Amino acid sequence: MAFSHAWHAGELKVDCLYCHRSATASRTAGIPSMQLCMSCHRNLSHETAETKKLLAHWENRDPVPWVRLQRLPDFVYFTHEMHLRSGLQCANCHGQVEQMPYTPRAASYEMGWCLSCHQAKDASKDCWTCHK
Amino acid sequence: MDVRRRTFLKTAALAAVGSALPGCQRQTDRLIPYLLPDDEIIPGVADWYASVCSECRAGCGVLVRVREGRAKKIEGNPEHPVNQGKLCAWGQASLQGLYNPDRVKQPLQRKGVRGEGLFIAIDWEEGLQRCTEALRARQHGPIMISRPLTGTMSRLLADFMDALGGRLYYYAPDAELPLSAAWQESVGTHLVPRYDLAQADYLLSFGAPVLEHWISPVAMGIAFGQMRQGRPTTRGRFVHIEPRMSLTAANADRWIPIRPGTEGLLALGIGQVMLADHRFTWSSQQRARFQEFYHSVDLQDVAKATDVPTDVIARLAHEFASARAPLAIGGGTACAHTNGTISLIAINGLNAMVGNLGREKSAGIFPDQDRIPWLTEQAVLDLLKQQEKTGAHSSLLLYDSNPLFTMPPSVPVKRLFEQAPFIVSFSAFMDESTETADLVLPDRTSLESWGDHVAETPVRALGLSQPAVMPLYDARQVGDTILDLGRRMGFDGFQWPTFHDLLRHRWRTLLERQPHDESSDWFDKAWDAHLQRGGWWPERGTRLHPLTFTPSRGYEPAVLSGDEKEFPFVFYPYPSMTVGHGEGANRPWLQELPDTMTTVVWGSWVEVNPNTAKTLNIQQGDVVRVTSPFGSLEAPAVLFPGLRPEVLAMPLGQGHSSYGRYARRRGVNPVQLLAPALDSVTGTLASGATRVRMERTGAKGRLVTVERPVMEPSDLITISRSRES
Repeated sequence: MAFSHAWHAGELKVDCLYCHRSATASRTAGIPSMQLCMSCHRNLSHETAETKKLLAHWENRDPVPWVRLQRLPDFVYFTHEMHLRSGLQCANCHGQVEQMPYTPRAASYEMGWCLSCHQAKDASKDCWTCHK
Repeated sequence: MDVRRRTFLKTAALAAVGSALPGCQRQTDRLIPYLLPDDEIIPGVADWYASVCSECRAGCGVLVRVREGRAKKIEGNPEHPVNQGKLCAWGQASLQGLYNPDRVKQPLQRKGVRGEGLFIAIDWEEGLQRCTEALRARQHGPIMISRPLTGTMSRLLADFMDALGGRLYYYAPDAELPLSAAWQESVGTHLVPRYDLAQADYLLSFGAPVLEHWISPVAMGIAFGQMRQGRPTTRGRFVHIEPRMSLTAANADRWIPIRPGTEGLLALGIGQVMLADHRFTWSSQQRARFQEFYHSVDLQDVAKATDVPTDVIARLAHEFASARAPLAIGGGTACAHTNGTISLIAINGLNAMVGNLGREKSAGIFPDQDRIPWLTEQAVLDLLKQQEKTGAHSSLLLYDSNPLFTMPPSVPVKRLFEQAPFIVSFSAFMDESTETADLVLPDRTSLESWGDHVAETPVRALGLSQPAVMPLYDARQVGDTILDLGRRMGFDGFQWPTFHDLLRHRWRTLLERQPHDESSDWFDKAWDAHLQRGGWWPERGTRLHPLTFTPSRGYEPAVLSGDEKEFPFVFYPYPSMTVGHGEGANRPWLQELPDTMTTVVWGSWVEVNPNTAKTLNIQQGDVVRVTSPFGSLEAPAVLFPGLRPEVLAMPLGQGHSSYGRYARRRGVNPVQLLAPALDSVTGTLASGATRVRMERTGAKGRLVTVERPVMEPSDLITISRSRES
């Protein structure tokens, strides 16, 4: 199912944290529950083919199987909570999501990429910080 | 250097790298959102719940780590005084009880003939109605057989059975009844005493499996560690007396391989030597009592019967009497003979002789704690006799006990089941006994249930358990079911809507007597605080009051079933460290655990002394047939040097015909060989009292061991260089 961040985050200006709620509380940002989607999609004035798919999923009590963009290996410890607490914005790592009509992986999310920012921002470069 | 080996490693490394390349997955990962979010769940953040493990009777406190509503890991609760943050393998494996694929997921009604194991699913309303009708239609008091319980649940079951005009029995194959009976008779307390292992400096254990699953394994382990290493200048000395080198024996400073059934006799011998050679401060009355009891046998006869030389007996006596803090503990195999209680009296008396018995002044936590009778094998025989005489057959209510598996077929407990007009089981698993039920009203596992647990050893503690996860299936906590049934039957005192309400009420009554603040919501705050902590264990000072020990009966030798010529071996079935008496067999983690002494996994085996095996031409892994006067079984042999030559040992716990995919049709159940030999005082099964014979079958068995198995009995060590890698 196609989801457009450009529409939701860009045009409608829905905040990142409205949907990805656990980013400030946990290591995972979380994806919104179906109920959260339906809180708006329950009564739209104009339905498209994609929103109709969403409604069908809800009717059938079938959660939408979103495609996962990347998975960090188990030996990496990364917390969204710590990074947001340090003052980073979502766009710093995930790019200008509000301009993306479809959502690709915004960066390689490899260790070198992480370290370059840790280096620039003078964050910890100790092995145990991320490989605990 | 061997070129082939290098090439092999290189190829293996390449293969490993190849499979780890990122992006080479056929299936893209999916992210599945919740349909309805849970307010309490933050993905990635764990919640910890304090609870009580219910895998055995110790009642260790646990902390359950829950992520996204799933219980992930169980650890010991550091604040709980029984286990102080440690936990044994059974506690860890209780997760596999919660998530076991073979749980009973909803109420079941029997279809077809009783015992066929065919059931149809019904809903709770129908199940409760059927049960109520069947109980209403009772003509005689029903019998409930439950695993031993404490606290609120125990009281509820007792009240329910009283209201029904029936009887509640507790049944556990590891109850060690001769131990408590021995204390009861000689000192007047039915509680198993608190053995202060940590402060002892000389531990003399007569078969008591202190380092295995006995009474309160985690607490015992902690205390043993303190005895050995907890004090800077004292390392407690440990002598273990047992026909087999168990894990406990292997950890002792000295293992004395005594002849089976003669532990009490050895204690008499030791007592005799102590009386002769040491001074004690007793009244002449006490001295006369001890004299009469411990001099009832001749020392030379003791040495001959036990196969322990007189100089060893004298040495043990001297060491015990001159130690600063000696402790004699009996149990395990010492309880497992027809003279179990009597042996234990002799063993316990050694403590009395050195004056280290005392009673702590303590009020009961629940002062109206019930004394529920135990279902011993003698009780079964009595019930059957009574039923035959009066023609009154009782319905059976089963909870978490499996007598059809753990009682030997030579004790006709099956007739109790066959003759019962109605059988209802509240167990969460379909085991051999529950398969005979007409109705199954499944319980939830303890990780999904409310409850409390009174621990007696090593300290009095009242643990609280709470659900850590939402209930997985359409099962109901047995407390709720009993309350519901009580209401439907119209009984008084069952007005609590749920067991949780009853539990809170009991605790309110309990805590009301303790100092508390006077705010209107004091109980809610206290309740939450205790739930978070995992229970209530008030600080208490310990004061010891001396006890008088009176040996209540004279010594009797053990009686073994079977003619010695026809059945030359003594059979020694012992509870497995991993699967116990069978309860753990449906948890694969426990099945995977290698047996501590033989390293066998996932099966049954017969331990044979290697010299005995040589004379019978039996090699490691050969299938042998072991026959008793009551049955026969086949299993692969393990050559085990730590065994008296005339003894054959087997672990209990395998050989289920039911109980799920991990337990079913795996191994053999040694219990089927056992004679209906009973302890002369308590009437409980004397599991070590059966003689057997053994023969080769010629077949090779499937024995899976972790270590290289064959230990050749030899004085020389051979070193051979192998050209294989």
